[in-house]
Amino acid sequence: MLLPPFEYYRPSNLEQALALLREMGDQAHPLAGGTDLLVNLKLKKLAPKALLDLGGLEELKGSRADGGQVSLGALNSASRLASGGPHVPRLLAMGAGALGSPQVRNRATLGGNLVTARPAADLCLPLLALGARAVLTGPQGSREVSLDGYFQGPGYTVKEPGEILTRVLLEAPKPGQGGGYQKLGLRQALEIALVNVAAHLELEPDGKTIAMARVALGAVAPVPMLAPSAAQVLQGAKADEKSFTAAAQAAAADAKPIDDHRGSAAYRRDMARTLTLRALRQALAQAQGGKEVGA
Amino acid sequence: MSRQFDVIGSRAPRKDAPNKSTGKAQYIEDITFPGELAGALLQSPHAHAKILDIDTSKALALPGVVAVLTAKDVPEVKYGVSPARYDENLFAMDRVRYVGDEIAAVAAVDLPTALKAVELIQVEYEPLPVLLTVEEATANDAPWIHEEYPDNICAQVEQEFGDVEAAFAQCDLIQEGSFFSKRQDGAFIEPNQCVALMGHDGVLTLHSSTQVPHYVQRTVAMVTGLGMSQVRVVKPYVGGGFGPKASATPIDLAASFLAIRTGRPVRMAYTREQVFLFSRARHGFTHHMKIGAKKDGTLMALDHQATLDGGAYSSFGIATVYYAGSLLGGPYKLPNMRYAGRRVFTNKPACGAQRGHGGVIARALFEQQLDIIAEKLGMDPIELRLKNMMETGDVTCNDLAMSSLGMKECIEAVKSGSGWGEKKGKLPPGKGIGMACGFFVSGAGYPIYRSETYHCTIMIKADEDGGGITVYTASAEIGQGSDTTMAMIAAEAVGIPLEQVRVKSGDTDFGIDLGAYSSRTTLMTGHATKEAGDNLKAMVLETLAGELGIQAARLDIKNGLIKISGGPVDFSAIRTGYIKEHRGWQDQPQSQELTFREAARLAYLRRGTLVATGKYKPPVLGGKYKGATVGTSPAYGCSAQVAEVNVDFETGQIIVERVTDAHDCGQAVNLTSVEAQMQGSVSMGLGEALFEEVKFDAQGRIINASLGEYHIPTVMDMPEVRCIVVESGEPNGPFGAKEVGEGAIMPTIPAILNAVRNATGLVLEETPLTPERVYQALKKQKGA
Amino acid sequence: MSKLAISLTVNGVQRQALVEPNQTLTSLLRDELNLTGTKHGCGVGDCGCCTVILDGETVNSCLVLAVQAQGREVMTIEGLAQGIRLHPLQQAFVDHGAIQCGFCTPGMILSAKALLDRTPQPTRAEITKGLSGNLCRCTGYEKIVEAVQDAAGKMERG
Repeated sequence: MLLPPFEYYRPSNLEQALALLREMGDQAHPLAGGTDLLVNLKLKKLAPKALLDLGGLEELKGSRADGGQVSLGALNSASRLASGGPHVPRLLAMGAGALGSPQVRNRATLGGNLVTARPAADLCLPLLALGARAVLTGPQGSREVSLDGYFQGPGYTVKEPGEILTRVLLEAPKPGQGGGYQKLGLRQALEIALVNVAAHLELEPDGKTIAMARVALGAVAPVPMLAPSAAQVLQGAKADEKSFTAAAQAAAADAKPIDDHRGSAAYRRDMARTLTLRALRQALAQAQGGKEVGA
Repeated sequence: MSRQFDVIGSRAPRKDAPNKSTGKAQYIEDITFPGELAGALLQSPHAHAKILDIDTSKALALPGVVAVLTAKDVPEVKYGVSPARYDENLFAMDRVRYVGDEIAAVAAVDLPTALKAVELIQVEYEPLPVLLTVEEATANDAPWIHEEYPDNICAQVEQEFGDVEAAFAQCDLIQEGSFFSKRQDGAFIEPNQCVALMGHDGVLTLHSSTQVPHYVQRTVAMVTGLGMSQVRVVKPYVGGGFGPKASATPIDLAASFLAIRTGRPVRMAYTREQVFLFSRARHGFTHHMKIGAKKDGTLMALDHQATLDGGAYSSFGIATVYYAGSLLGGPYKLPNMRYAGRRVFTNKPACGAQRGHGGVIARALFEQQLDIIAEKLGMDPIELRLKNMMETGDVTCNDLAMSSLGMKECIEAVKSGSGWGEKKGKLPPGKGIGMACGFFVSGAGYPIYRSETYHCTIMIKADEDGGGITVYTASAEIGQGSDTTMAMIAAEAVGIPLEQVRVKSGDTDFGIDLGAYSSRTTLMTGHATKEAGDNLKAMVLETLAGELGIQAARLDIKNGLIKISGGPVDFSAIRTGYIKEHRGWQDQPQSQELTFREAARLAYLRRGTLVATGKYKPPVLGGKYKGATVGTSPAYGCSAQVAEVNVDFETGQIIVERVTDAHDCGQAVNLTSVEAQMQGSVSMGLGEALFEEVKFDAQGRIINASLGEYHIPTVMDMPEVRCIVVESGEPNGPFGAKEVGEGAIMPTIPAILNAVRNATGLVLEETPLTPERVYQALKKQKGA
Repeated sequence: MSKLAISLTVNGVQRQALVEPNQTLTSLLRDELNLTGTKHGCGVGDCGCCTVILDGETVNSCLVLAVQAQGREVMTIEGLAQGIRLHPLQQAFVDHGAIQCGFCTPGMILSAKALLDRTPQPTRAEITKGLSGNLCRCTGYEKIVEAVQDAAGKMERG
């Protein structure tokens, strides 16, 4: 399969990249890992005049902790995230490890996954559940956007054409937190989820009461979504099967699935419930410092 | 069986493996020719439409375009697989019948130009009603997709053996069930590709990724009008086939015409999407069966109906619809069998042959029903199967002769190998164990075209220096290991080590070979190879005997050494002669015994180049009824499998945790390769059972024409597959060998179905067993 | 746009090439450098046939631009054997019958190589995860897994 002709630019810093973007407008498309963009070019879904390779931008690399905040560069690969590390939340590592295949994980980037904004994106759900914010840098400077509200539709986000997603900000992990990630697909690898769920729990110091929770659902709406009712059910509740079951029920009610060739809306809704329950159990085990249950 | 072999039965590494491991092995895409043009196809975007006009002028005007061909530029010759159903034209004459139907081909200086030219061809269509299902195609008011085939019936079969109704009247139990399967794709990893070259000598050479060089040669010759002697087909290494590569493709033909037109090499390749569009893979099947049994478990009769969703052309379809019925004749004693099958044309890509041709879903339903019968009669499923199993020497009601049948041994092997007794009925909730048997031809008894042709011919030539031999065969190594198999058979027959045998294959210049399909190569090409090896050996020994002045009967060759019985013989003159010829060489023969090298050298010196030939066609096989040519084979391979599964009741997801597989291959030529075929079969069967389905939208376009969305198993989806090789010794096979390539897939789907039923109580009637399908069935069961 | 000059290391050798912006790494390796062991399977990252090792990590070379290999180190299947002596992984694939049609083999072996470089003694689960981006339709994978286990053992013993 052939790539259509395009011009190629590799700016060496963010300022240059933004200038090029300003100059070319929507004629230029930023290129990160390429696992999605190059496929879409080959399938003729996109035909930009130029690709702007972000690979040289140091501003988009690395990870650092700053006070209570973690800042992950948009160019972190899924493999790097999957292998964890001091600043990578375990929930994000779990999602990253479930993405595609080793070859895809080695190329796919944090920023790319967020910008591509597929409804079942394996990095988006953990980030949503973790309450992450995206840093969008444009000609006027940077702005921070909560991921809750960032996704607008399949492939569409609040990012303006002149902006580059440069970093992702997260609260630094604290004791008493735990995450769960559940992905249901046909195959065990090389798979886009039929339904996937990420759950994040924060327990009170008593280790039993839920201080805060977020549940993110994938493939049950046009975008990765948070399940607000589930969070509401969980907040202040006891971390037990009863609350989890109620939260799972609420998550299923929040889901807005449709029928497509991969699965029916009814099945997806039921799976949103089942996977939420499992993700919450997994999150609790992690929060209580136990061994992780079946990732 | 305890025949002693020197080469056969070993685990010798495959001859092609080292080059494949280093990237040196060349596939079509790795072989380039000077001055190549790139070809591209224009394919229909409509599933069914009249063609009102084709305007190629803009394409022809594009700089870099060398030729554009449409139907009016090529002879109006219909082709296909079965001569009784030649229903394809290379380029659509006046109508397109599926999304992907070929309309035109372009040759240009490079691929981007060729693809651009294709876009510039303007076609005016008048859409026709699109018939995507059997129901739509057989509705009273449905238009006919082919004028020649009323009511869209491509083929119809009515057979009855014995008296089914009379038998049902004597039965204590009548069990009925239905099954629906979805269309599959072969999903071989190398997409089809070819390069055609027209020489100034008038010979067209087509390099193609095919399973059947001979049939491609015939089709290209017939359609282009060239003589068979003017068409040479060469098959380099091929990246898998599994059936869909068992006929000439439109790109084989289009590249040939473009090469003839331009005088330049023309390369054409399918993208992965085009592989799906060409299809020729497994049909979607609908089966209904009624099985009668006595209360002691004796099977009495089968009444069976099948409908095949064939797609737009016949391809292998007539054979498919016959196989779907005939292969249930065995391996159980079934005295009465009635079959009504039909294959229906629809506006989708044509289906054809795929591993386990025609028989896989029929087998799945039958074996599922056997389990239910066993349960209803209070028998263990294994006991029921053993009770009804045929034995060597039995003949089925439809005249298939079991010249060897290690089925009981296979069943016993998987029973003990899987720990059946400790597990069946004793597993925790969600876990299940199931078994099934299978059965397949070891080579089609007849060629695709009606002919008395040999099915294969072999030449073995001894090196003039005597150091080894080369086997020349037109057979098709497509990954299954046939080159190594032939090398091992030749080595065993001649009596020399495997290292002394080279194989040159896959070239129609080397003779006749019908190709790699219907699990025929080991038995048939193996026979011819053995015969050629035997002949070569006789030539060498005859010459040697004459030279030594003894009876040839006193001589034999073993492990590359000449064995002389009946007392010592002085061969020093021969050795001296050889050593003198090789003065200064490092490897002069020093063994106590004369070597093959010296004897073969001597034979060359006395007779000139030593070439021995072999040939094979099956003996006259049973069956005088209509359709008896499909299913009759010189031998039958058989197998049994036990699958162990875990079913997630909350998601419907099935994980196959273990498979124990026993296959009777008669005699393993290469034990590792036999296991490899068994494991590969299980993986394809597992994919078919759980994941694989080609899906269409309402316009007849494939929704999931990629390996990302059409799910074949990854390594993470495969359980450990424990292989047990059973060797029954097939009298009609070379050194006792018969098939393993396709029979091994037969039990996989039903073993999984039966294991899932064991885990859940569900009788599932539709594959693939996606989580959703299983989940909905579980929900229904709970509600009921 | 005119061709771009790049320089990269391929199998330990410094190479220069002029590439089109829209040329893939697969095409650079196969068409310019004549390293045809890297196969075209699907072109969209679904099958893993075109796997090469880029700076120590496996990638689908169909989804990497040639120009993105500028200054980087690529290992292809041709880089494994020492002369006619096969790499232990290649030898294990040969010995275990892990190769049938062979079209997935180069990518499969490179995925195994990258895995063993990182995890010299992998568990079965680590092996299957490490090879999960390489589709094989012939073998059912069992003999491939055995080959990787065997090679890991032999490489460890040196």
